[in-house]
Amino acid sequence: MLFSSIVFLFTFLPIILVLYYLVPRIYVNILSSRGIKNAKERYYPAVRTYKNIVVLSGSLIFYAWGEPVYLFLMVFSILFNYISGLDIARNLKNKEKAKRSLIYNVGVNLLILGFFKYEGFLLDSINAVLPVDIPFRELPLPIGISFYTFQILSYIIDVYRGEVEVQKNLIDFAVYVTMFPQLIAGPIVQYADIDRQLHARKETIENFGEGTLFFIRGLSKKVLLANTIGMVFQKVSLMDAEQVSVLSAWLGCAAYTFQIYFDFSGYSDMAVGLGKMLGFEFKKNFFYPYVSTSITEFWRRWHISLSTWFRDYVYIPLGGNRVSKRAHVRNIMVVWMLTGLWHGAAWNFVIWGLYYGILLLIEKYILADVIEKIPTAVRHIYCLALVMIGWVFFFSPTLGSAVDYLKLMVGAEGHGFIDKQGLYILMTNGWMWVMLVLGSTPAVHDFYEGFIYSKGQAKMKAAVNCAIYAILFLLCVAYLVTESYNPFLYFRF
Amino acid sequence: MMRGKEGRKRRIKFSQGKQMIAVMFGGIVAFICLVNLITRDKSFSEKENRMLEQKPELTAAGIESGRFMDQYESYKSDQFAGRNLWVSLKTNVDLLLGKRESNGVFKGKEGYLLEDIAVPNQEQLDENLKAMKEFSSDYSNVPFYMLLVPNAANILSDKLPPLAVTEDQEKQFEDIKKTLQGEYVWVDAQKALRKHKDEEIYYRTDHHWTTLGANYVYQELAKYMELDTSKAPELEPYAVTADFNGTLSATSGYKSGYKEPIYIYGAKDLKDEVEIVVTYTDEQRKTATLYDSSKLKGKDKYAVFFGGNFSVMNIRTTADSTDRLLLVKDSYANCLIPFLVPYYREIIVIDPRYYYGDIYQVMKENKITSVLFLYNGNTFVEDKSISGVLESHETE
Repeated sequence: MLFSSIVFLFTFLPIILVLYYLVPRIYVNILSSRGIKNAKERYYPAVRTYKNIVVLSGSLIFYAWGEPVYLFLMVFSILFNYISGLDIARNLKNKEKAKRSLIYNVGVNLLILGFFKYEGFLLDSINAVLPVDIPFRELPLPIGISFYTFQILSYIIDVYRGEVEVQKNLIDFAVYVTMFPQLIAGPIVQYADIDRQLHARKETIENFGEGTLFFIRGLSKKVLLANTIGMVFQKVSLMDAEQVSVLSAWLGCAAYTFQIYFDFSGYSDMAVGLGKMLGFEFKKNFFYPYVSTSITEFWRRWHISLSTWFRDYVYIPLGGNRVSKRAHVRNIMVVWMLTGLWHGAAWNFVIWGLYYGILLLIEKYILADVIEKIPTAVRHIYCLALVMIGWVFFFSPTLGSAVDYLKLMVGAEGHGFIDKQGLYILMTNGWMWVMLVLGSTPAVHDFYEGFIYSKGQAKMKAAVNCAIYAILFLLCVAYLVTESYNPFLYFRF
Repeated sequence: MMRGKEGRKRRIKFSQGKQMIAVMFGGIVAFICLVNLITRDKSFSEKENRMLEQKPELTAAGIESGRFMDQYESYKSDQFAGRNLWVSLKTNVDLLLGKRESNGVFKGKEGYLLEDIAVPNQEQLDENLKAMKEFSSDYSNVPFYMLLVPNAANILSDKLPPLAVTEDQEKQFEDIKKTLQGEYVWVDAQKALRKHKDEEIYYRTDHHWTTLGANYVYQELAKYMELDTSKAPELEPYAVTADFNGTLSATSGYKSGYKEPIYIYGAKDLKDEVEIVVTYTDEQRKTATLYDSSKLKGKDKYAVFFGGNFSVMNIRTTADSTDRLLLVKDSYANCLIPFLVPYYREIIVIDPRYYYGDIYQVMKENKITSVLFLYNGNTFVEDKSISGVLESHETE
């Protein structure tokens, strides 16, 4: 199930929220009316358990909605890691034993991830390189497996490191693994960040309201901006290569650049928002990455939860930067190859990861002193251009087609720089481009909040704010409903 | 942005605003859910001309395979209350933002909606053309004509939104013409239509050409087919409806309120009218008219011509002629056929999209004296059925 769907918004979410908020309240009220004093406080643990069960069962339905069979895989993962966590904790005094238990656990988790995500890629590559032809069947990818596997690993490794308490409550642990707000597209929540919230968190109407702000903002990013500009990208990528001018090629790439940002960060915003609605606090996952002035900065602002995870569980354990130059280069390249591979099981993702590894090394070792002297505007262009070139590797189905697309962008194919088609793509989406550019910077958001939170006429401003968000939400609904508007083209038949 | 203590204080004060947001969101969601609960499910969407998804039955097998979930999602959005309102809200916002196309339909100038020019399904097209040539080469003494009608976005390209670019239909036609050369007489509909491009030769809200457009092309066709137009009665157009809102409007969501007329041509002098009997072979139905006026009450008013598309129609006339025409066609032919009626004893009309019979047998049994293929460009280059129908003879 996607957040940006009619079923989620008008069936799943309302039912979950009613069960989550109203049912325990009614229960406590009944108890109080029967003369039980302090029912709210006395039954707090019971209510908390009840609420976690609501979140857990909702999450399992949410997960099973797309591929019901994988529910068994999920249940297995939960049980295996729950027990495994207990086992590691039990053996913490015996370092050797704990380590063995940890390696076994990580091995199993990576094997599951590898089997479902990389089996096809691996065998395909082997078949291509070696004179063999191993048959394989492409399995559908269990949704969110890359995300929740990493969440589980953060828990297991932190238990081993003694940085978090082992979770003895199976329901709480299952909630951590499956929590529907971040189950399928992150952010990757580290166990240490949420440990306490699993059994003690506070839901307030203000929090709910703030969650709603995040959620509607994220939904709008996804539905109004990302989906719309995604159609431009699709149009360009389906065009006959001979008709793609340099302008069209760059616009297509820009469209994807915006699409992936607003899609992904919109999804993260929705996750943060839904979390807040249920009383959870997640960390920020995106922080205006496209205003960066260097690749190093870009990766501090893009998919923060993933880079943090790799830093904490791969880069630093390998020695980080406190090693010889050579080892450092190796560390960086390992981390970025894995980062690339995490994004998808294909060679162009590996190249995409290595591309960033190399860029980061260049910035660190070669450009470090130079870059500060360059005017900011040039640095912005430098960073954005490199990021856009990176996305070409990301969106191309194969390495060869990525190279072909780059050729179109530099005009190596000689299809002209500016043509009517390119101008049409630019003009018919005129306001959309303006909104996308502005939306990628903090300017609009800061200006808006500056106004809403400024002194005086608080009531009026609150009402204006409320109206704007209501309109955004209704627009999203209109766009979502229209997605299913498929007139049967009877003239074709 | 507000920073420091001052800002934080106001943020806290804004808690009132956050409560308001929470109530707003809860309210809207609850309201929409409620309206959806009390709105009764519909079975058919007039605007989209399709059956809507109904509430799926909850079965273990359905859940296991995920079919239930898919159906439930379609059901929820198909039955969403006020669906048409939401759709027009979206299209209008898109227009405001500068977007000028929706679902493959351009919102052109002067109120024209224009269907984008289709990209040929090249493999299938080659196969169709090959089959057509083989078909005609089996009948060396029967003349074969090819009438490919260009689409509005080609002839009326000056009505496209500014800067809009489409596939080059002229080039497509040129290639097809070259392939069929020697076997088929190419009827140049483009020239005839381009000459009259400032007249109402295409509907504004529908992908079809108007009867006027068909009339101009018929005059051209008559020259190629050497029809003796002096024999035909003098014709006069009259409107059968003024309330036509066509498929392009439904497809795109644009101009859903726009209404335009449909004309048909009748003999000026009623006694000149040829009498006819139309037999719908598969439906086993006969009528004495080319028109089905009951269709004027529905959404798809273009179906007033013959009541829509049928696999085979047999038109027998009292015309003073022994000629018999085989017409292989799509819906563009429907409004042109009436002009041909006075010249033939019999016209067999086959729509390959629905036809499963043996076309060679039709040729033989009906002693066909000429064959005409009539399609619009978009349908022809995407057609998947012509080769199948023409080859069916050999495979049997």
